[in-house]
Amino acid sequence: MTHYTELQLDALRELANIGSGTASTALSGMLGRSVDISVPKAQALPFAEAVEAAGDPETEITGIVLGITGDMEGTVLLLVPPADADAMCRMLGVEPDDEFALSALGEIGNIVGTSYINALAGMTGIEIEPTPPATATDFLGAIVESVLAGAAASSDVALMLDSNLVVEGDDCAISFLLVPDQGGVQLLLERLGLS
Amino acid sequence: MSALETMVRMGELAVSSEPGHVLVSLGLGSCIGLGLIDRRMSIAGLAHIVLPESQGQAAKDNPRKFADVAVPEMLTALEELGARKVRLEAVLVGGASMFAVPSAGLEVGQRNEAAVRELLEAQRIPVVAAATGGSRGRTVRIDVASSAVTVREAGGKDEELLAGSGVLEVVA
Repeated sequence: MTHYTELQLDALRELANIGSGTASTALSGMLGRSVDISVPKAQALPFAEAVEAAGDPETEITGIVLGITGDMEGTVLLLVPPADADAMCRMLGVEPDDEFALSALGEIGNIVGTSYINALAGMTGIEIEPTPPATATDFLGAIVESVLAGAAASSDVALMLDSNLVVEGDDCAISFLLVPDQGGVQLLLERLGLS
Repeated sequence: MSALETMVRMGELAVSSEPGHVLVSLGLGSCIGLGLIDRRMSIAGLAHIVLPESQGQAAKDNPRKFADVAVPEMLTALEELGARKVRLEAVLVGGASMFAVPSAGLEVGQRNEAAVRELLEAQRIPVVAAATGGSRGRTVRIDVASSAVTVREAGGKDEELLAGSGVLEVVA
């Protein structure tokens, strides 16, 4: 079992806080609305518990995933309830059943995820880049476990940095998960002087 | 919904010979839900496999997430309950690619299925039903007493993947 100290989790939470702050500013600019962020959670969980920590496995959810490549490997996953995804499409002037709806969502993910990743890179001095976004609407469990599988090879514990962005007025929420692989967590902690 | 559902989560496995027990994996994506069933003895097992190969990492806390560890472990556990390997039938559920764009680790679904099929073949255990591949997540339920297996996709209903035994007796 990989253990993280409270101090390390606090530092990672602070990273997530700054990252999601930057992401919320980007989302706000894109949608033309103000966006609130919740206090992020940093959790190190066995894989069996990690999916449930993200939500009910059989809830239908829209997931937008961006890979992270470079000094640190990992994944950024944005989870949006389908009704909220529809609402955000409308804010961008795209009808949810339009053929462009998926690319509009992908673009939201791209901008929000990229600003998060860039903030992370800026704070820690590591060079990382996002891969293009991919979108799917399905069981939450299926989406989250497929993302966690990438980190499962090298670790028994998933580190999940979880924030919520809430778009004011329309009550839509994006939940934001950063899942670095095992080596990625070590690198982040090293750069924070907490390894 | 049965009160006796046993959740088999990521990297876990469960075996049972208890009538009334249902083994369940909710929302399988790239993972494989491998069911092994001894119909005559009403014994069943379900493994929620995450990755194909342990590559020497079997000493870790939970090596059952790897196909090459989960399959032999489940065989041993089933035989301890009285199942016979020659009678076992396998069902495979999952192994999807949830996202259209290949990204690091997301094509693991196909590799999982290939690894599990190879391991079963080496043990001469036939795959009698499968709902694998594609891009949809799936929930699998195995009813221990009847050996019936159902699969459900998001927004869908439970579909029978493997018929249960003893249904005719109930009707008659």
